[in-house]
Amino acid sequence: MKIRTLFLGVVAVLSASVAEAQQRRITGRVLAEEGNVPLSGAAVTVVGTTTGTYTSEDGRFAVNAPGTGSVNLRVRRIGYQQKLVPVSSVMTDVTVLLTKDVLQLEAQVVTGTATVVSSVNAANAVSVVNADQLTRVAAPTVDNALQGKVAGAVISQNSGAPGGGTQVQLRGVSTILGSYSPLYVVDGVIVNNSTIAGGLNVISGASGGNFSSSQDQSVNRIADLNPNDIENIQILKGPSASSIYGSKGTNGVIIITTKRGAAGSNSIDFTQRVGRSTLANKLGSRCFGSSAEYGSWAVANLGADSVASAAEFTAAPTKCHDYEEEYYNNSGIAYETIASLRGGTQGGSSTYFVSGLAHHDNGLAPNDFYNKQSLRVNVGQQLGSRLSINANSEILHTLTQRGISGNDNNGITPGDIFSATPSFYDLQRLSDGSFPVNGSAALGNGANPFQDAELIKTPNNTYRFIGSVATNLSLYNSERQTIDAAFTGGVDTYQSKDRVISPATSYVEANTFGALAGTLFNSDGEILQANLNGSLVHRLVASMFTAQTSAGFRQERRESSITQLTGRGVIFPSVTNVSAASQTFPNAALGLTRDFALYAQEEFFALNERLLLTAGVNSEKSSNNGDQQKYYTYPKFSASYRLPRLPSFTSEFKLRAAVGKAGNQPTAGRTTFLTTLLYEGNTGTRASTTVGSPSIRPELATETEGGFDATMLNSRVRLSATFYKKKITDLLLQAPIVPSTGFTVQYLNGGQITNHGTELELDVTAYQRGTSSWIATTTFSKQTGYVDFLPVGVASFNPGVGSFGRYGNAWIQAGKSTTVIQASLMCSGALTASGSCPTANRVLGLVGDANPDFNVGFNNQINIGHVRLSGLLEWRKGGDVVNLTNNYFDSFDLAADTAASHLRYANYKAYNGAPYVENAGFVKLRELTVGYELPAVLTRNAFGGRAQNVRLELSGRNLKTWTKYTGLDPEVSNFGNQPLGRFQDVTPYPPSRSFYLSLSSSF
Amino acid sequence: MRKYTIALTAGLALAAGCIDNTIVTPENSPTVDALTGALTGAGVKTLALGVLAQDRSAASGFGYVLLPEIYARNAYRIDSNEPRFVVETLGGNADPGSFSAGGTAFTSPFTAIRAATSLLVALPGAVESQVTPAQRNATAGLIQTIKALNYYRVVETRDTLGVPIQAADPAVVAPLSCKATVLTYIAGQLDSANTSLAAAGSGKLPFAAPTGFSAYGRDYNKASNLILLNRGLRGKVELYRGLQRPSPVAGAFGNAITFLTQALGGAAPGAVAPATFQNGAYVTYVAGGTENTPNPLVDSKIGVNPKAVAALQSGDTRASKIITRSTLAGSGLTTTYTYVGASTANAANLTLPRAILRDEELVLLRAQAYFENNQFTEGTLDLNSVRTSYGLTAIAVPATLAAARDAVLYEKRYSLFFEGPQRLVDLRAYGLLKAGVTPAELPGDPFNTAEPIPKAEVDARNGNITVQCP
Repeated sequence: MKIRTLFLGVVAVLSASVAEAQQRRITGRVLAEEGNVPLSGAAVTVVGTTTGTYTSEDGRFAVNAPGTGSVNLRVRRIGYQQKLVPVSSVMTDVTVLLTKDVLQLEAQVVTGTATVVSSVNAANAVSVVNADQLTRVAAPTVDNALQGKVAGAVISQNSGAPGGGTQVQLRGVSTILGSYSPLYVVDGVIVNNSTIAGGLNVISGASGGNFSSSQDQSVNRIADLNPNDIENIQILKGPSASSIYGSKGTNGVIIITTKRGAAGSNSIDFTQRVGRSTLANKLGSRCFGSSAEYGSWAVANLGADSVASAAEFTAAPTKCHDYEEEYYNNSGIAYETIASLRGGTQGGSSTYFVSGLAHHDNGLAPNDFYNKQSLRVNVGQQLGSRLSINANSEILHTLTQRGISGNDNNGITPGDIFSATPSFYDLQRLSDGSFPVNGSAALGNGANPFQDAELIKTPNNTYRFIGSVATNLSLYNSERQTIDAAFTGGVDTYQSKDRVISPATSYVEANTFGALAGTLFNSDGEILQANLNGSLVHRLVASMFTAQTSAGFRQERRESSITQLTGRGVIFPSVTNVSAASQTFPNAALGLTRDFALYAQEEFFALNERLLLTAGVNSEKSSNNGDQQKYYTYPKFSASYRLPRLPSFTSEFKLRAAVGKAGNQPTAGRTTFLTTLLYEGNTGTRASTTVGSPSIRPELATETEGGFDATMLNSRVRLSATFYKKKITDLLLQAPIVPSTGFTVQYLNGGQITNHGTELELDVTAYQRGTSSWIATTTFSKQTGYVDFLPVGVASFNPGVGSFGRYGNAWIQAGKSTTVIQASLMCSGALTASGSCPTANRVLGLVGDANPDFNVGFNNQINIGHVRLSGLLEWRKGGDVVNLTNNYFDSFDLAADTAASHLRYANYKAYNGAPYVENAGFVKLRELTVGYELPAVLTRNAFGGRAQNVRLELSGRNLKTWTKYTGLDPEVSNFGNQPLGRFQDVTPYPPSRSFYLSLSSSF
Repeated sequence: MRKYTIALTAGLALAAGCIDNTIVTPENSPTVDALTGALTGAGVKTLALGVLAQDRSAASGFGYVLLPEIYARNAYRIDSNEPRFVVETLGGNADPGSFSAGGTAFTSPFTAIRAATSLLVALPGAVESQVTPAQRNATAGLIQTIKALNYYRVVETRDTLGVPIQAADPAVVAPLSCKATVLTYIAGQLDSANTSLAAAGSGKLPFAAPTGFSAYGRDYNKASNLILLNRGLRGKVELYRGLQRPSPVAGAFGNAITFLTQALGGAAPGAVAPATFQNGAYVTYVAGGTENTPNPLVDSKIGVNPKAVAALQSGDTRASKIITRSTLAGSGLTTTYTYVGASTANAANLTLPRAILRDEELVLLRAQAYFENNQFTEGTLDLNSVRTSYGLTAIAVPATLAAARDAVLYEKRYSLFFEGPQRLVDLRAYGLLKAGVTPAELPGDPFNTAEPIPKAEVDARNGNITVQCP
């Protein structure tokens, strides 16, 4: 009803508009300044009207201008700087030369569901990363490809296991218990970035029990996307921009647009990469120089068993094995094949983009790998003059085997095994094909990682479909006004199957589970997300101003179903059907969320498009809220102004400010459940000890952002500075209840976090002449976050996101940094006879902070003739990690650096400080590429004129890390992605450096 | 133009179809809304089983059986990864913030009590066509007995540290009441339950209770048998009301003898046949499947305190409850013995039931009450009926109360080995768990006699754990 009224109102306004006036025809041609090449698809509009057209393949255009006087034409094309062209009353034909936009000054950035604005005018610091920047070096996942490229984004990989597992955090920690992932939107479809735990826990016992856990080293599913299909990624970093996504916008929004077809003849792009990954870092282990040295170690560490093992040492042919070199030595070839077809009909009424990908990475450990295949079809069709339809679809398949890593309690992780095995034991496969039992008495379970890699399988197999249809209907089009109706609907659905197959024949399985040896785990995860947007956009162009009004709705549905079945006691190794197990354990979880939002926005350009004022509001209700029918409202306001009079060295200077609110839906706590307790198979129920709150509501973030964008020195330097303050109130928290009431905890909203930050981006074209150039891009970001206060009844607490006793854990305390690390500092009394400190005497303190002091990305691209050299360095200053891996080695005195180990362990044993909390700052050479484009003459001769842009490249990812951190990789998270407490290093999968040789060509 | 109109109309129709659809009912579990309104027969069954399942949980945590048996010098748990089972039991004080404070043995019984209260409140509104008055009374009697039992479990582990008596309104935090008040309250609850059971006459529960309530010599689905369980508990509570210090309840031992005799079907002293010693109510365990509640004592880190082995009298066939095992050592303790039901080598142990209250304990409780009531002859008859059934010779009537208590403590130790906190309660009541009386297990042995009030409870009360005694 509301929409209909609005529509009728708009029509009424239009009916009263001016009658048709006299017109004249202007024709012309748009060319690239460099080489006078015709530019197709450039948008030519008559300033002050809605009239406009696009250039044809030969760069020509014709447009009707009102009146007979002089007019201005605005010419825009992606990749070129826009130009304002005065056309006097006597001119009828113009030639427009566009300058290449090497610093990307002209991107179109999202302001609403159906509206965009040029970055020249944008009032928010929206980062845009384009296809070339994303795929310069092969990246396994999209989030890997973004590392170091976006100011304000801390992007960290959880481990070196193949296939991803990466967390993107925009503008700091915005929640304690709520959703922490940015919202990902692909071509208008809100896509899923869940992590479905793969079940490693059933054999590692990291968290105990019979099901999966957050310590399963699993992948967040945004990893599925094919980075090569992406045209650009826009990052709305905080609520001042992401307010349009309402109660899902607190953590920022990452908007991904995939490639589209283009009018004209077909072009085929083909890239073949081959490469390999090698161990980038290792811990080493202790080498015993003599049997006397080993003997004294054995007496100290093994006691009575030492006599037997001393003889083993003497008999061992190799006294020191480098287990990491031996084990993480998967030398298989990695490859990536990318092919795409891009084209369209001559007039551009039909366009298409078809692409395919086959990607294979090896893990460092034997038999680990990551396979990904993708097929995409994007088609666009113009139906008549008013209706256009774009349909995008992608089918993805990934098959991953990530091996065993991370925390364990069963002595099964290779890192754990190495930490407890004196290096003279040979663990490698014997000549008869069998594997030696690990003789280490310190380990005690015979576990041999080489045997485990051979026998134990942990595959994840995921099929995914992402599809969307977007229609745009021009309802009304006059010289000064347009009305468009846009509908976008889409779906993201996947099926993720995780299995763990751990036969009873492995030594670790037999020794850990005894009569119940032989473990199978089967998990089926099904996810579906669908959303539908509808918008009406009215554009009014007057001589003094342009106003764009949009209003619409968004409806969303998210479903999940995860079914797990664990079997224990599977006797026969060949059997992989769980029903053959002597004990089985089922588990299932279902989820359904429905959201509905209404929004409206006004964008107002004035002062010759120098001033942009925006006001918007989003009102949203969700089934996740206590009151499922209540609308929560998220307004935003922003303003930008491009200064008109500038010193000669400055071509643009824009001041901007924005304020907006966004929410974060409660993930739990809407109601008090009845807990089902089975008794001999019969169902019993009682009230859960966790009390829900009927008033539970979204967390509310309010962000104020301000800054400037300056373009200087003939557009060769761009400097962008942004300062923000993000305040999050109504945090989703759990307050303890007196347990003797029969309940233990209740959900509530309360407390406040405030984040402050600075983001700088500096792009410099240091050199540009002919075909040679040097472009340097530097990003800097610094952010701090503090817990301002906690609500009454909620004391300081460990947010329970995973931690290990005294070593270091996340801690939430009013007045302290959100990311502070709490650890045991000392024992205030005497230690017990067994050397432990009575818990009452343990003095805990805040010893570090996981938040880096600042992040810098330094990206250089140098072109000299046919040679291109590019490199990306990321510097993360500060930020602490709890290195429990060291404690694994120290406790058996088997660390390579025994002096440091002894010092650490002595401090640990004496409760002296927090010896395992370490500074984890680093500088990483993320990307390095050397490319050579074959000269056209050579290409013509070699490929008979059919191939263009033939390029050979040698590239590398994560080639070198400079850090004082003593662990394998300062980017680490034993518990995977989580809002807080990432900083746990527990025998992770080691990092790899990857090299690729690639050949690419267009046909 | 027509197709555009159709396109727009279709879009708007989709929009209209999307409004007002954000109501989602939780799919994974029912909500507390299910407790309001008239209870059906199925509702009574599931809520009653919920109480019994929660009671099983309260009776099964380390805090209820294992820690008291460690305190009482019957058990060890030695785990190099988890030294707190030693350093916070025999090597030092229990830490209120640590798991070894037995949070499970505190929160779980109070959760069971809340569940019982909720059902008792809703029960009068049960649909009469589905639950007859007799069935309703039988259910109320069972549930109120279980509620009292859970209060008693907290008294067993917390002794004089205070026990809150839950307010009907869950939002109200009750003060910690002193032991005498709580035991009186428990006695009242048991008597009220007994009234309900009596009103049920020959009625039965409207559902089948777990097999632990029917498979061991007596069918507690019948109200008439539930009365025996109720009176047995009442007798046990009354005995300890008589032993409570500083203000023992006058006449408690005589009353205890009356209640216990009633629970034993009126049997005369020494007249309970050993064949019926195992009769009683049990919690039963299930291994694997969704339920997966194996007997928690099946644990390779559990051992038997060598002193419990050394104290065994020659010829006592209860020695079969203790078996040898590989050396278990650490934190200054060593043992080569374990409880037969703790052995991981025997998969049947995973489903070994454990008694809530069985006749052998009732006979020994009655012997104890006779001795305390200065009826040594009767006490000796009951005591010897147990003793002789295990291959030992009968004892003569003890000359002193101290000798009688020693004799009772010996029989209870091995008859009820690894069955609960009975020995801890007795040693505590008789002042036998302290330095100079009990040999220290480790340097600095604090001779813990009770588990502390858990930190979560203390913190949520803002540190106020003052015990109120009218």
